[in-house]
Amino acid sequence: MTVGRSDGRTAVALLVVVTLAAVGPSGRLAAQDSQLGIRGLGTPGKSESVRARTTGGAFAPFDAFSPLSDAALADVRRMSASVTSGVSWRSVDASGTQSSLQGTRFPAMVIAGPVTRRIVVGGGFSTYLDRSFGVIIQDTVNLRGVLQPVTDEITSDGAITDLRLAVAARIGGRLALGVGLHRITGSTRVTATRSFADTANYRTSTAKDEVAYGATGGSASLLFDVTSDLRVAGWVRSDSRLRADVGGHTVSENDLPRTYGAGVQWRAGAQARLAGTVMWRNWGAVQSIANAHDTFSWSVGAEIGSPAAPFRFGLRGGQLPFGVGKTPTEVGYSGGLGRQFAGGRGRIDMGLERLQRRGTGLTEGVWTFMLGLTVRP
Amino acid sequence: MTRRLGFLVLLVAAVGGGGAIWACVEQVTAPGSCPNYCPTDSIAIRDTIFTTIIERDSSFRGYVPSYGAEAMSVADLPGIVDSRAFFVLAKAATRVTVKGGDTTTTPIIPDSVRFRLSIMRRDTLATNLRIRLYHVPITSDSTSTFASLAAAFNEPVVDSVNVSALLASPAIIDTTQADSLDRRFYGDTTYRDGAGHILAVRDSGRILDLYFQLDTLQAPVVEADSGQLGFGVRVAADSLASIALGTNEGGRPPFLQRFFHHTIPDTVSTQPDSIVSGNQTQTPVFDGFVFNPPTPALDSNLAVGGAPSARALLRVAMPAFLHDSIDVVRATVVLVPVSAVQGVANDSFRIVVHHVSTDLGAKSPLDPSAAGATFIHIGSPDTVNLEITNLVRAWSLDTTMTTAFVLGQVPEAASYTEIRFYSSRAPAFRPGLHVTYVKRFRFGEP
Repeated sequence: MTVGRSDGRTAVALLVVVTLAAVGPSGRLAAQDSQLGIRGLGTPGKSESVRARTTGGAFAPFDAFSPLSDAALADVRRMSASVTSGVSWRSVDASGTQSSLQGTRFPAMVIAGPVTRRIVVGGGFSTYLDRSFGVIIQDTVNLRGVLQPVTDEITSDGAITDLRLAVAARIGGRLALGVGLHRITGSTRVTATRSFADTANYRTSTAKDEVAYGATGGSASLLFDVTSDLRVAGWVRSDSRLRADVGGHTVSENDLPRTYGAGVQWRAGAQARLAGTVMWRNWGAVQSIANAHDTFSWSVGAEIGSPAAPFRFGLRGGQLPFGVGKTPTEVGYSGGLGRQFAGGRGRIDMGLERLQRRGTGLTEGVWTFMLGLTVRP
Repeated sequence: MTRRLGFLVLLVAAVGGGGAIWACVEQVTAPGSCPNYCPTDSIAIRDTIFTTIIERDSSFRGYVPSYGAEAMSVADLPGIVDSRAFFVLAKAATRVTVKGGDTTTTPIIPDSVRFRLSIMRRDTLATNLRIRLYHVPITSDSTSTFASLAAAFNEPVVDSVNVSALLASPAIIDTTQADSLDRRFYGDTTYRDGAGHILAVRDSGRILDLYFQLDTLQAPVVEADSGQLGFGVRVAADSLASIALGTNEGGRPPFLQRFFHHTIPDTVSTQPDSIVSGNQTQTPVFDGFVFNPPTPALDSNLAVGGAPSARALLRVAMPAFLHDSIDVVRATVVLVPVSAVQGVANDSFRIVVHHVSTDLGAKSPLDPSAAGATFIHIGSPDTVNLEITNLVRAWSLDTTMTTAFVLGQVPEAASYTEIRFYSSRAPAFRPGLHVTYVKRFRFGEP
């Protein structure tokens, strides 16, 4: 298949329009945030499409529209774009204090198309670290000999986004290789407000700023078809240090982890596909954070039914990188549906995910409804 | 191509529409579980008394003289002060023209005088409060002193009234202003004694209008003086003998209304030998007060108040770090009085802070609005704290502003009361600036 100029224009138009549409309504690109990311660099995002996410993430290294593995792009046969969005309802139990939170997210977008018969170029964005949170802290301080009740509200709104440009090539009939160049960028609007119960004598103090983040990274991956029904995947990623700038001055630089992952997918006939993945990230190398932990995560999932209208489900487990004491854990269950339309030129995916996170003195339960749209104009 | 555009529209509508709906219900703020799940940095607050940044402080006197004040202080506090009000009424006609176009005049024949004094402030705990009226020379003016007027105040009393007794007498309710139970919500309540004195309680009950009924001896019409009269006022009480009388500047001056008649000569009128009645009013051309002992001369301390009024100018050398990286949440000027202010025990007066727009010394222009205020209580030697948070916040943010302020009494020169604070020349008691500030939050650090 050759790609004409009109496909190139369409790709650019799709990229611009979809990006604007995704960013515009909420003004940010983010994954599902967590209180467990406040005392760290943030909550790692999930580089998964709705299809992959509803299988617990197990299909992500084999899914061209999950920005996890570059090699998977080799399966794209014509210009395509996919966007993932979701809304989460989160309940937090922090040492007996309960609260309910809600957020809308656009975690990933991928656009890709072949430039030759064997080479596919793709790009897009995904959430690398979510830094949207707000905490209210009530305390009493001794001011001028009087105990003064104060309320602090510290909020951060934004995320660190991974912009990816990737190339995948099929080498022979069984092997596909992919490499990606990553620009990690983003910003957060941060506010720290202290208000006093004694409003007659004390003025409220508000500090606002914007923190800009930047780093670069690279990734490489492969897909190997052991048999016509069995496929394995492997990927690796490394990033430079993450720089945080406030007002043009660098205020911190932090190491980012290396990532290693592997997966296997088995096609059990025409109506069933099974997959499993494992991934390890050395978040513990972030020297500046006292309670950073290396994380290991796994997932298994299945897709049942015809490729045009499958039913999916999956299970995931793993760890979160930032937390005092014991490494926080995460367990998730998910399920969903997909449906092709317009003769296979479009596909809509939806799913529901339940995550349970546990850290020292903190438990989070998250329900997430996901909606994904893929088009092949 | 049309089909591709259709897909694009579908994609944008799905993503944009869904996002717009969901984005409306964002909620990311929760009670913090600290320190484990709160930001590493916290909002740090500091409380510091800067004892050396107020410098080059001075006092200046003469802004408002006693004869330009909004009130006249009258007091008799043995061992503390004896303050006496005096005023000279404007000229009045002593003769009248009986026919238009004719230069022939005829003298007026005074009948009676109604004379009003407005008591603007008094101690409601004072008992047996008496007000005494004296004649003073019509030449009395701004050069008059306590000593120069002493002789006049030693003359026989023109009239005297016991305000406490009047207030204790049965009230005469203005039924047009009261309800069926004679409860007065707004308007006047009036008291009257057998000597013709009338006391009207105005509005809030704080202002008393005291009317004297004077005869021709008490308020004579002296043609040589062009009808001018001078009066002095003293006060006495069992204790707490201190009041303030209204002045021209305060909008409620002493007020004299003279009732008279004259006879029309038969040669100039079609109504020969008829008697015509009339009245005329007089208000002061000068009002003021004198007191003894006089206000001491300025010294190295910071004087505020008195008559003529004194103000204190204080300059602040703001440390550089107060200009950046902090947020002032409270700022207070700390002033140590040299001694407790003398006066009526339950009395107080107000001092205010005005920002100096441009530092030109004693004649510096001031911002009209007060940046801070507090009441000074008589007899209290306590340290005075003046809140000037907004002013110091402004200084912190705007490095072009003049960092100086003036302390003054309100109203100025209406009383003998004056407070003196230690200045920067007294190292142990010098003025300080107590600042509570929040340090800049370290954004961007994990």
